[in-house]
Amino acid sequence: MVAEQHIRSGLGGLAPELSVSGLTAQPETIRSLAAGGCALLLFVNEECPTSALAMRRLGPLCQGWESAGLSCTAVFEDPLEVAIRVARRNGWTGRVVSQPPPYQTSRAYGLISVPAAFLIDRAGQITGSVTGWDQPAIAQLIQRAAAITGTTLASPEPAEPLRKPGCSSKSALDPDIAAAMNASTNSDEIEEMFERGWTDGLPVVPPTADRVERMLGSYPGATSLGAVPPAMGEATMERLAACAVLAGCRPEYFPVVVAAAKAALDSRFNLHGQAVTTQPAGQLIVVNGPVRHELAMNSGMGALGPGNRANLTIGRALRLMVELTGGGMPGTLDRSTLGHMGKIGFCIAENEEISPWEPLHVERGFAPEQSAVTLIGSDAPLSISDHRSRTPEDLAYILAWAAASSWSTNWWPLAEPSVFIICPEHAEMFRAHGWTKRRLREFMFDAVHKPARDLRRGETTPFVHRSDGGAEVRKWASPEAIILLVAGGEAGRYSAVLGPCTGMGFEIVSAEVEPR
Amino acid sequence: MTEYVSPFDERVRPAQPLAQRPGQISGLRITLLDISKNRGAEFLDRIETLLQAAGAITARETKEIFSKPAALDLIDHITKVSDAVVEALAD
Repeated sequence: MVAEQHIRSGLGGLAPELSVSGLTAQPETIRSLAAGGCALLLFVNEECPTSALAMRRLGPLCQGWESAGLSCTAVFEDPLEVAIRVARRNGWTGRVVSQPPPYQTSRAYGLISVPAAFLIDRAGQITGSVTGWDQPAIAQLIQRAAAITGTTLASPEPAEPLRKPGCSSKSALDPDIAAAMNASTNSDEIEEMFERGWTDGLPVVPPTADRVERMLGSYPGATSLGAVPPAMGEATMERLAACAVLAGCRPEYFPVVVAAAKAALDSRFNLHGQAVTTQPAGQLIVVNGPVRHELAMNSGMGALGPGNRANLTIGRALRLMVELTGGGMPGTLDRSTLGHMGKIGFCIAENEEISPWEPLHVERGFAPEQSAVTLIGSDAPLSISDHRSRTPEDLAYILAWAAASSWSTNWWPLAEPSVFIICPEHAEMFRAHGWTKRRLREFMFDAVHKPARDLRRGETTPFVHRSDGGAEVRKWASPEAIILLVAGGEAGRYSAVLGPCTGMGFEIVSAEVEPR
Repeated sequence: MTEYVSPFDERVRPAQPLAQRPGQISGLRITLLDISKNRGAEFLDRIETLLQAAGAITARETKEIFSKPAALDLIDHITKVSDAVVEALAD
């Protein structure tokens, strides 16, 4: 058989121990890898296209092999972080370990080129090896493993190319050349971030170890804030700091990012549902308290728009945590039909100084001198122009009815929160007439209603169907579903409403911004 | 070479094996779990009819809300009284 010529059988020696680092706390040993029956080691390196081919062909089979007693380990001649990235990109589902220069493990196995596969039995004997990509030989090696383990093991499909020569092992190179190859060859760090997938689609700040350390400051990097849905990646402080660096945050913003992450990961917020839904839902962060001034956040002109680093990057850091650490990237686990721009970052500071009312965080039980964030699942803003109302009743009526079609035209009542951002000129109208927040909220709640029969077209709610035709149905289930904030420039009569994220059973969650 | 801190959780977690598939339907106790998505019950009605015609003994359960995992008590109950479960996912 041709394939047999390519398998080096019965090397007659014990497999050398591995001198590698990996993701597990305990170092991998040949004995532990072969404990289930036998072990497959696949030596690879990043620069080698044949290594990539081998990982793509064998990677999807590893999980099945593991459960049948054949462990599956890619031994990289690259730094661990590179190894992990390349393994993921090539669909490798087995273990990943890394060896530093001068590649002692590759040398111990006598490598000239990669990829090179070694089959090792439970006694630690090398029972066969294949160099380069050679599908028939690899298939034969796997069937040898099946005979050892006494199980059935799937072989890679005989797809073209059946054979492909390997590339030089770094262990076989002159040490100076190997060191030069191991140095970064990517002269454009920003492009490298895209290549790694560490982005939301916009350029990011590379999270170098130094930048992440500065972002962390006194926070312990290993402390976890919990698992980030939907993929349940662990939100260690270090990873969150990496997200904050990527987003463009300054270190002094980090306590706000931490508070936002804590609130978002509170189970009452149901981030899991919000992260995967087909709805557009973004996670609105409302910042209150002295920290707004300490970070020079913008609660005035263009408060929801471009121009302020803190507003934009704090919101982006939270979204990067969901997308990267949590795996909630559009098109993968995030199934949002359209999404909205707030899913890039959605952070607003309330203009407490110009507001006639108590700020949101005080409504929610914090002291005015405390700083806090409040997280609300929220749709995109709809602007509400009103330059001509001359009474608070008329203005409140216009604001409330602007939201009548939010979520869906005939979907009444809404139990989830609609957020109204009242601009300063509109807020002044209510101040001048002594309207409290409660009065405005109850007026708006009472203002928007229709007979059930007028709502029975297209999609509507079971509540509307159950009601008598003449029964008046309100837009909101309660006044508490109307959230009122004040923000924006002092000139111009444009408020906004942010429609709700429905069906998630989520609660609004607040968290204090604790100083470092 | 520049050292970066990855935002990803890089741990390689083994895939959870699929539960063993029953060889036949006749005589099995099968729970049909409605996740409370719009019109999911209609889909389950049809599946239930087909399962009963194939000899299954069916039961119906409903999740409180589609956007959250089922309550642990409900999962425990289903695993105690069922040989298999069918979950209706979409609307």
